[in-house]
Amino acid sequence: MPKVSSKLAAAVKCSEEFNADACMHCGTCTAVCPMGYEILPRKLFRYVQVGLEDKVKENISSIYSCLLCGMCSENCPAEVNIPENIRFLRKYINENEFNLS
Amino acid sequence: MAQKRRIGVYVCYCGGNISDYVNVEEVAEAVRNDPNVIVSKTHMFTCSDAAQQEIIDEIQAEKLDGLVIASCSPKLHMFTFRGMSKRADLNQYQYVHVNLREQCSWVHTNDKTGATKKGISMVRAGIAKCVLTVPLNAIRIETKPRVLVVGAGVSGMRAAISLADMGLAVFLIEREAEVGGWALQTGKMGPEAQEGTDVVAKLLARINQHENIMLHTQAEVIGKSGNIGDFNVSVRLPGDESLSLNVGAIVVTTGFEPYTPEPDEFGWNAPGVIPLKDFRQMLAETDGSLVYNGKPVRDVAFIYCVGSRQSKSESCTEPNTYCSRYCCMATTYTATLLHDLEKKTGQPVNQYHLYRDVRTYGALEPLYEKARTGGAIFLRWDPSDPPKVSTEAGQLTVKAKDHLLDGEELEIGADLVVLATGMRPRENATLNDVLKIPESKDGFYNEIHLKLRPVETMIDGVFIAGTAQGPKTLAESVASALAAVAKTGGLLMKGYVDLEPLIAKVDPDKCIWCGECLKACPYGAIEKINVGEKEIAFVIESMCKGAGPCVPVCPHDAIEIEGFRDDQIVAMIDASIKELEEK
Ligand SMILES: Cc1cc2nc3c(=O)[nH]c(=O)nc-3n(C[C@H](O)[C@H](O)[C@H](O)COP(=O)(O)OP(=O)(O)OC[C@H]3O[C@@H](n4cnc5c(N)ncnc54)[C@H](O)[C@@H]3O)c2cc1C
Ligand code: SF4
Ligand code: SF4
Ligand code: SF4
Ligand code: SF4
Repeated sequence: MPKVSSKLAAAVKCSEEFNADACMHCGTCTAVCPMGYEILPRKLFRYVQVGLEDKVKENISSIYSCLLCGMCSENCPAEVNIPENIRFLRKYINENEFNLS
Repeated sequence: MAQKRRIGVYVCYCGGNISDYVNVEEVAEAVRNDPNVIVSKTHMFTCSDAAQQEIIDEIQAEKLDGLVIASCSPKLHMFTFRGMSKRADLNQYQYVHVNLREQCSWVHTNDKTGATKKGISMVRAGIAKCVLTVPLNAIRIETKPRVLVVGAGVSGMRAAISLADMGLAVFLIEREAEVGGWALQTGKMGPEAQEGTDVVAKLLARINQHENIMLHTQAEVIGKSGNIGDFNVSVRLPGDESLSLNVGAIVVTTGFEPYTPEPDEFGWNAPGVIPLKDFRQMLAETDGSLVYNGKPVRDVAFIYCVGSRQSKSESCTEPNTYCSRYCCMATTYTATLLHDLEKKTGQPVNQYHLYRDVRTYGALEPLYEKARTGGAIFLRWDPSDPPKVSTEAGQLTVKAKDHLLDGEELEIGADLVVLATGMRPRENATLNDVLKIPESKDGFYNEIHLKLRPVETMIDGVFIAGTAQGPKTLAESVASALAAVAKTGGLLMKGYVDLEPLIAKVDPDKCIWCGECLKACPYGAIEKINVGEKEIAFVIESMCKGAGPCVPVCPHDAIEIEGFRDDQIVAMIDASIKELEEK
């Protein structure tokens, strides 16, 4: 069973960049994403929100294949800055998973 | 039949509601030749101002002394037509109402001929009853300009102040040593960010200054007699003292009891599982980071709807099916208090809100938004699969399925699990025994009508307000307290109240005082009196509701309800079967 990690949750919380709280899970972003990954970006953000670090790590390839094209944020009715959130996640993974800093 | 009467009959179309199924012209025609009927007419809308004025003119021109209106339910328009009769100088109790809509047209939509025939029978019965009406006058009772308020929580205190401001004398009775009720223990309250204790202190200061309010704490109501406008109440004071009060009305604001979970419900009784009330108090008492049992609090799971919105099951045989209304607001507000604390201490606290539906209705919605955007995570649970709380190796754990992740089960390690427990009706055996206010199926005191008469009870002169009537937020409690004030003021400021004269009447010649009526009366309106040598039953006018269970039990036909006398009922039956007999 996926465990909630306070570390990721706390990192997300303290950051100015990551903000998916306004997301209402309408799915528009997933529908318009040219990469067509099921996880991008809505489900991924839910994993981040609830602090499921393992799940996030399982999807590292999707996170890095995002084009940062902004189709999603352009169409998001809740004005979530999705590419910005992806950047934040890449930084978090770089630091915590690949030990790059 | 004795003297002829001059009756006007008016049959209503109700814009088609009646006339689509009952031929109202035929009905009016059928009774036109009745020897007691002077006028028999139809109207498209009898309740319209124009129709009423026409009827008033006819009553006066034709010197009518009785009126039969065949229209909708008397629940809708009896008072309309009583008022109309008054304006025409016709005694309002000589107007008889026939319910041709609910009791005829609406229930016989498949049989127009039959409906019309039944309509004629009903109107004939109405005329027969009208012939035997006598002019009656309302029973006028002087009201005392004093009020008893039972329970000094926020609702009772607020009611007391406004009643006293109207110039009424108020006796405010509180069972505990301290006034304020639960608001004393709720810490900072939403959405106005007021400390519950401050709210209470401010109200108490106003009460102490008010010369019209007498506050008694550690006091309890133990007896009541009398009736609307004039109650005698006995109150027990500390030290075996007692107090007799004479008041015109009683406002009951005895509040609620928080729900106590069952031993295994959401981990109740495990260390770290606490009710919202205790968490609020922790927040109120801390000046740094939150600490529980010597451990810093980093992760908090809130579970909503605990003890509310339940359905019947093996483990829950007496479910609280209602929503407790305050808890979504109070818990989302608590989330914002935690955000504020995080900002103050720089110490993040992760919040997981496990909800069923977020019911932050109306102007409370921004609280939910604030809670979310501040970083609280909301996870929805389904009653068929509620979150499970357990303690594993000293770690409190909540397992819940997340709808947004296609039902994936999450495991949340929490330092505290806070249960948003609902409101329950308060145990109040002594008071219930004295006041006998009916209870709703949820166990709270029952109003007469949720929307139309929300603070009145079946007991005239006894009002209910605040959470004693049902779950409410603080603001809603105060609004309902002020509604009760308005109703009480409306009753007492006039100085008198007019009661229906349609009540029981004893025939002193026939009555032999067997006491059967006394046993049958649910309102205690019958007394034994002596008339000369003879003992007979006596009806206390102000207490009799005219409900009539005394009538059929009397073995000597000595008691009748005015307006529903035996001779009237027999005449109605005879008249309504006239057509059948003619065949
Ligand atoms: C944990 C918690 C948090 C809350 N947070 C909020 C919030 O943030 N915002 C908000 O708007 N609302 C909140 N509420 C709801 C709010 O507290 C209530 O709406 C309000 O206190 C109800 O007041 P009341 O006077 O109707 O009832 P009570 O507070 O129950 O007062 C009833 C009084 O009557 C007395 N009494 C009872 N029986 C008798 C008797 N027989 N004779 C004499 N006296 C009697 C009791 O002793 C008590 O003093 C919260 C409630 C709880 C439990
Ligand atoms: S920015 Fe990334 S997630 Fe958004 S639409 Fe483009 S590729 Fe998809
Ligand atoms: S479009 Fe915006 S609101 Fe809709 S799911 Fe994507 S991020 Fe959430
Ligand atoms: S009096 Fe009643 S039945 Fe007639 S129009 Fe009005 S509502 Fe309809
Ligand atoms: S107010 Fe919210 S938490 Fe309380 S019973 Fe209703 S839905 Fe549940």
